[in-house]
Amino acid sequence: MDVDGEDVSRRLHVKFVTKLDSPFKVPVNSVAIPSNVTRLGLSSIVNSIIQSDNPEWKTEPFDFLIDGELIRMSLEEFLLAKGISAERTLEIEYIRAVTPRKEEEPSLHDDWVSAVNGSSPRFILTGCYDGLGRVWSSAGSCSHILEGHSGAISSVAVVNSKDAETVTVATASKDRTLRLFKFDADESVDSSTRVTAYKILRGHKASVQSVSAQKSGDMVCSSSWDCTINLWNTNQSTSEGESVPLKKRKGNNQADESQSEGEAVTTLVGHTQCVSSVVWPEHDVIYSASWDHSVRRWDVETGKDSLNLFCGKALNTIDVGGEGSALIAAGGSDPILRVWDPRKPGTSAPVFQFSSHSSWISACKWHRSSWYHLLSASYDGKIMLWDLRTAWPLSIIETHNDKVLSADWWKGENVISGGADSNLRISSGIAIS
Amino acid sequence: MTKKSKGGKEDKTAIETKSKSVSGKSQKQKKPVEKEEELIQESGTDSDYDGDSLSGSLNSDDFDSDIFESEDDVTQGGTEEDGGDGESSQDELLDHEGSIDSEDGDDGSEQIDSDNIEEEDGSDEASDRDEAVEESDSSEDEVAPRNTVGDVPLNWYKDEKHIGYDITGKKITKKERQDKLDSFLASMDDSKNWRKIIDDYNDEEVELTKEESKMVRRLLKGQAPHADFDPYADYVDWFKWTDAIHPLSSAPEPKRRFIPSIWEAKKVVKLVRRIRMGLIKVKKPEEEPEEGPVPYLLWDALTSDQKNKHLTYIPPPKLKLPGHEESYNPSLEYIPTEEEKASYELMFEEDRPKLIPTRFTCLRSIPAYENALKESFERCLDLYLCPRIRKKRINIDPESLKPKLPSRKDLRPYPNSCYLEYKGHTGAVTSISTDSSGQWIASGSTDGSVRIWEVETGRCLKVWQFDEAIKFVAWNPLSSLPVLAIAMGRDLFFLNTELGNDEEQEVIKEMFHSGNIPEPEASVAAIVTWLSDELYGGIKIRHFKNISSIDWHRKGDYLSTVMASGETRGVVLHQLSKKKTQRLPFKIRGLPVCTLFHPSLSYIFVATRKDVRVYNLLKTGLATKKLETGMREISSMAIHPGGDNLIVGSKEGKMCWFDMDLSSKPYKTLKNHPKDITNVAVHRSYPLFASCSEDSTAYVFHGKVYNDLNQNPLIVPLEILRGHSIKGGVLDCKFHPRQPWLFTAGADSIIKLYCH
Repeated sequence: MDVDGEDVSRRLHVKFVTKLDSPFKVPVNSVAIPSNVTRLGLSSIVNSIIQSDNPEWKTEPFDFLIDGELIRMSLEEFLLAKGISAERTLEIEYIRAVTPRKEEEPSLHDDWVSAVNGSSPRFILTGCYDGLGRVWSSAGSCSHILEGHSGAISSVAVVNSKDAETVTVATASKDRTLRLFKFDADESVDSSTRVTAYKILRGHKASVQSVSAQKSGDMVCSSSWDCTINLWNTNQSTSEGESVPLKKRKGNNQADESQSEGEAVTTLVGHTQCVSSVVWPEHDVIYSASWDHSVRRWDVETGKDSLNLFCGKALNTIDVGGEGSALIAAGGSDPILRVWDPRKPGTSAPVFQFSSHSSWISACKWHRSSWYHLLSASYDGKIMLWDLRTAWPLSIIETHNDKVLSADWWKGENVISGGADSNLRISSGIAIS
Repeated sequence: MTKKSKGGKEDKTAIETKSKSVSGKSQKQKKPVEKEEELIQESGTDSDYDGDSLSGSLNSDDFDSDIFESEDDVTQGGTEEDGGDGESSQDELLDHEGSIDSEDGDDGSEQIDSDNIEEEDGSDEASDRDEAVEESDSSEDEVAPRNTVGDVPLNWYKDEKHIGYDITGKKITKKERQDKLDSFLASMDDSKNWRKIIDDYNDEEVELTKEESKMVRRLLKGQAPHADFDPYADYVDWFKWTDAIHPLSSAPEPKRRFIPSIWEAKKVVKLVRRIRMGLIKVKKPEEEPEEGPVPYLLWDALTSDQKNKHLTYIPPPKLKLPGHEESYNPSLEYIPTEEEKASYELMFEEDRPKLIPTRFTCLRSIPAYENALKESFERCLDLYLCPRIRKKRINIDPESLKPKLPSRKDLRPYPNSCYLEYKGHTGAVTSISTDSSGQWIASGSTDGSVRIWEVETGRCLKVWQFDEAIKFVAWNPLSSLPVLAIAMGRDLFFLNTELGNDEEQEVIKEMFHSGNIPEPEASVAAIVTWLSDELYGGIKIRHFKNISSIDWHRKGDYLSTVMASGETRGVVLHQLSKKKTQRLPFKIRGLPVCTLFHPSLSYIFVATRKDVRVYNLLKTGLATKKLETGMREISSMAIHPGGDNLIVGSKEGKMCWFDMDLSSKPYKTLKNHPKDITNVAVHRSYPLFASCSEDSTAYVFHGKVYNDLNQNPLIVPLEILRGHSIKGGVLDCKFHPRQPWLFTAGADSIIKLYCH
């Protein structure tokens, strides 16, 4: 160790390792670096190492992990805070930084975009305050318009996308109904095709706030301002038969006969206020968040709630994912995104709290493949990408210039979001391994 | 070793010891010493000189006595002839010795001579001697006599083997004496041997130093032993002849001093007799002249008569004495620096030091000098005229006077931060109202628009545009009847919000259908007319005066409107289902400001400018209760959902909490706003109430009402909500019906939602 430089910056011996593939790999030699470098400094070191081997290398931001924790301060402070000895050779794992590299063209709607859904890799589904649902095959190209609602759409869900032929989607609206649509996602996209619902689900007494589909696609659940969660069958009633989609394709506004009406199969009662969000991650388990400050887990078979987490704040959104698809993330009427682990016995305190937003959180979604990553959207106009391994946001997307009402992942590496600026925005190129 | 010469006596004793030691060493050595002794004996003036010891010591030397006697005569004769000729006599002695050994006698005399010469010219010697003199002080004290036998004749030990005892009590054995031949040989070998003498008392041989021998020689000459002794020093008269406090003699006072003189007594008797006879006249003592009026001692504190005269005598306050800093020319350390002066400027006015020391070169340059006389006159005048009262001071910790309130943290949730704003109005938002579920909020503005907002997202759902500024909006309390009542100018509108489901819509449409408006009753025909509104398909009720306030009954069918009119015409009740209007069945004193239905019973609260009256709607007659607010002008009222507690806001910024079980006087009056309170609100389920004011703030309070009748309501201020622009203030506030959130409507055309 060099004595002169010790008071200015100590030097650390580190070894960079990675699970990334060959162009990202660096030789496994230990290098001495000053201890006061931050993530940016480490990233430039790794970039220059790669560049020395590969002259055509384009600079790429990296993120660094020591013992499974992301570095968000200077290396020296990090080691001090974690109590890691600086004597031995440190092993620093690097991953590609989770940050959008490209911003797609915004897709303009006629009104506020209240719901987006990116669960199908083939298209993006959006719901709008003008009562229309839209299907986007890519940024700026609307393939289908789902019409029929008389009120603003509050939530959309893809019911069944495995079927190559037709795709079933569900929309929930403030006109107290849900509608199910079927369309062919691979259709040519010259002009947007108008689609009417093949089934209208009536039964809620107040605005429907959220809809979520079972994985099998047989059922959807919806939550409403009438404090209930309703479960519905998605299959067409027997009388209509298979001709309905054809009719719809031709069908214009006089499709009344082709529409069937569905009634709620079950109603889950227990919440005392507006149920703002539901998710249906497993076959018979539904999670719901409500303005009565609680998160509940429902058993579909019995219709009883098997878990009741008290949060203290009115909740707007919930998602289940993460490690073993068991962590519950929820946000609501305060700027804190909370993550609970219901497997932990005897406690209802959140295991993670992320508080970088400055207003209500309108949406939170777990990444579908990563255990660590989730996004949150807020009324402050920001979308933040989070990693459970650090308390700081990985990336802040500030493309919206008004409230963000909904956001989702799409195809694993894109973030789609809709907001009060009537735009659907796609931030792409997010590298999550 | 030399002895310090302090007086003749001490020198004598020193010599005495020497003389004692002279005994029995050798004849030749002793002779001069014995001679010296004789000389001293003769020349000594002190009568205390004890010759016996000397003689004793001489006697001890029996073996030499004959020689001594014979030689004594010789020496005596010699000294008598010439006192200062000691040296020559010594020479003679030496010559006498020389008779024994004539060869070296001259050498010895030469030696002494040379010594003498040295003494005479050697300044170094003198300094040596001085040092020796200085040293002697301590050495004499330190060396204890080795022989502790005491003052006994040594010849008592003549036959003993010891000479005495040392300090530990052991015998000091006599040393073997050299026989005469040996000593003679020694004196021949060592030229300095003549200096050696034997200390008989301690039984040791002492060699006289040069100084000692000189001292002996000086003594032989009859001089003072030390050369530096001045026998003719100036006389110092130590006695002070000035009077001393103590008598010089300690003789007792003579008796005569205590006995009165007979002669004097005779003389006094004589004088008395003469005075009696009148031969001597005695002057009478003159009386003191009468002084003028005694000045009234204004500041003579605590004179007893003053205390008695006045029951409450107030001593003048004691002032702090002026210090150095109050001097006209204080020293520099009192003068504040420029920085300190600047810091005084920043201080709060009361905290600022009263006096900032400044320097003036002379008194005349003080600014107050010109007015000094006038001022001192005025001060005196002030002192003379000032009324003084006794001020009772109570020593109470101000903190202890604060009521013990629970911490704000324990009273959560309550609204504290604004996250959502509802923007769209172009004028001041005058009134807001939430629907019963809390999903929607309606607002009316001075721009003539009524809007319905989605609470969750802040989206404006519906807009109705009117020509007049909206005064009041009120949502029907029934969730099944989503109808909005809007007051503007003289008109009251019922609007269909179209938010209910289809069946509810049918009901409302039927209700609003224009055809079925019945003829108004004669009693109210002059006051209201029911019309149908073409523009928005609602119902319009036109009043004869401007509407100031409306309130829905909890069942959603009746609505009271308030107009600024007296008696029975100020408040009317509209029934929506029957489209009928009726007056209140009683007279109202004063102009009503607003009304409020009791949340569970058939009572109505009518607020006039100064007080609130409670009427039973089912009984005609007088008010059942009158609540005296003590405020100048009531602006708004809100009732606790329990129905027993009423909050009244006034235009002077005060808010009263009435506990109607307790008294007709306010239970608590809160003075919190500096400007008019525009509205007060109570939460339906949480123990919260709020007030909003023209000072653009809203206050949130915790107001807990207990079921226990003995326990008074708990009121705790929680939060001041700011955020609206200063201009115009906050015009309305409403709680969310289910969440602990507060909506505030500002004159800055924004509605804000404060969340917990």
